[in-house]
Amino acid sequence: MTREEWVSALTALPEKRLTELVKGFPADWKVQPTTLPQVGLGMMKMKESAFNESFYLGEFPLASCTVTVTTDSGECAAGGALVMDDRMERAEQLAVCDAVMTGRLPGWQKVEALLQEGSARREQISRERKAMLARTKVDFSLLEDVGGEDA
Amino acid sequence: MAYVAIKGGAQAIEGSKLVYDYLRSRQAEDSQPLDTSTIENQLRLLHSRVISEGGVYHPQLASLAIKQAQGDTLEAAFALRAYRSTMPRLAETEALDSSRMRITRRISSAFKDIPGGQMLGATTDYHLRLMRMELLNESPEAFMAISRSWFEGCDVGQIPDTFPKVLDGLRQQGLLAETPAQPQQDQPFDITREPLIFPVPRSAALATMTRSEQGSLLALAYSNMRGYGDVHPTVAELRVGFVPVMLPHPISGKPMEIGEVEITECEVVAMYESDEQGGKPSFTLGYGACFGHNEVKAISMAILDRSLQKGMQGTPSNPSEDPEFVLLHIDGIDSMGFCTHYKMPHYVTFQSDMDRLRATQNKHAAEDQNS
Repeated sequence: MTREEWVSALTALPEKRLTELVKGFPADWKVQPTTLPQVGLGMMKMKESAFNESFYLGEFPLASCTVTVTTDSGECAAGGALVMDDRMERAEQLAVCDAVMTGRLPGWQKVEALLQEGSARREQISRERKAMLARTKVDFSLLEDVGGEDA
Repeated sequence: MAYVAIKGGAQAIEGSKLVYDYLRSRQAEDSQPLDTSTIENQLRLLHSRVISEGGVYHPQLASLAIKQAQGDTLEAAFALRAYRSTMPRLAETEALDSSRMRITRRISSAFKDIPGGQMLGATTDYHLRLMRMELLNESPEAFMAISRSWFEGCDVGQIPDTFPKVLDGLRQQGLLAETPAQPQQDQPFDITREPLIFPVPRSAALATMTRSEQGSLLALAYSNMRGYGDVHPTVAELRVGFVPVMLPHPISGKPMEIGEVEITECEVVAMYESDEQGGKPSFTLGYGACFGHNEVKAISMAILDRSLQKGMQGTPSNPSEDPEFVLLHIDGIDSMGFCTHYKMPHYVTFQSDMDRLRATQNKHAAEDQNS
């Protein structure tokens, strides 16, 4: 799993799982924002398929955060996250996990375990969607091709 | 201005808010308030409509808007628009296409066999429109059993992650004009920041239609279908699914998935036309897409896209080809606002109307006496 897939995996799980994980990091770690954390909107640009022209489909909530995490032993790592959400704390939690994983800070194994769980949940969602397709795959036949009977 | 400022009535207005809230709670003492997740899942098509007309893909707030508006789609969409107006714009995605869509439904009325196959997904297309009386007294156990047993014996191994576009096949056969390598306009028109001053580019029309009110869009598209127009569409492909939203990671700069958006997308093939530059004739196309699962809206938008293209190229020959007529009359918030403003006090202007009428009547009576 690449760094760019971490947010997708972690947001697939119930929110309290991420909250509990981040709360479990030592309280004396120093988490400092490196850019102004922001909550707002993103605009979704689409390329339509008739003439390949782009247009704006609409907006979505967006929270962004970048931090440096310094442990009590002085280890330091930078992390950042963007998420389709309008809560600052959610972006901050994801940015902390990003830093912990990137810098292999103490507890990174717990983050990795949650990432694996999130990835498995994403897989499950994908299988559910594919099941909708598999159960409704249709093979229409023309009446004239099947002797006037509905196949 | 036709209406006037008024003073007083604060107590009545406050009381009115309380009555409005009371009516949603009078069901019974043991009733439960609606939770937003229930609205999103059990009223998902209503939810889709509001999220699309509100123009912000925020599933939880769309549910809340439906709840506080007590099911009024226009009021709910208005609340979402009001929310968006309070938020700063932080980013814009690169132009995403639907080739990576995680599909849940995909059909074509142009071909029975399409690459990857047709999958009906969730639809009422083949339902009998008969009342399902068993839902009147649905037990929680029966309700939960539906999802528990759903995946039994389902083999998903043959289903790919993504599907090719039907239009690509038609293009390869030379039945469609080649898409220009460079789009006509790099930066689309942003209807949230610029007023529609005509003529407007196609990107303005698409953006306006995608967040328009579904009924208005359908009515104008229907006028074209019935004969005030000649699009004669065939649905090349209608797909519903989730498009991953990508933005650069704030540190690595590489594209990252920040979430996904459910979209309905429709491409219609319309009457063929000769090429003005002397090339071979080819089918014309219309495109529609919107947030959520909104098939009537996406098809209507695709039809109107095609009719507006025709109107933009020459003189509109019917209302659905006239960009100004279509685009200025399909926004639910605009039209609802104009409609409901008639409920506001117009005491002074109406007094003036009455005075004028009385004067005219007096004049008329005097003329009758004289004649």
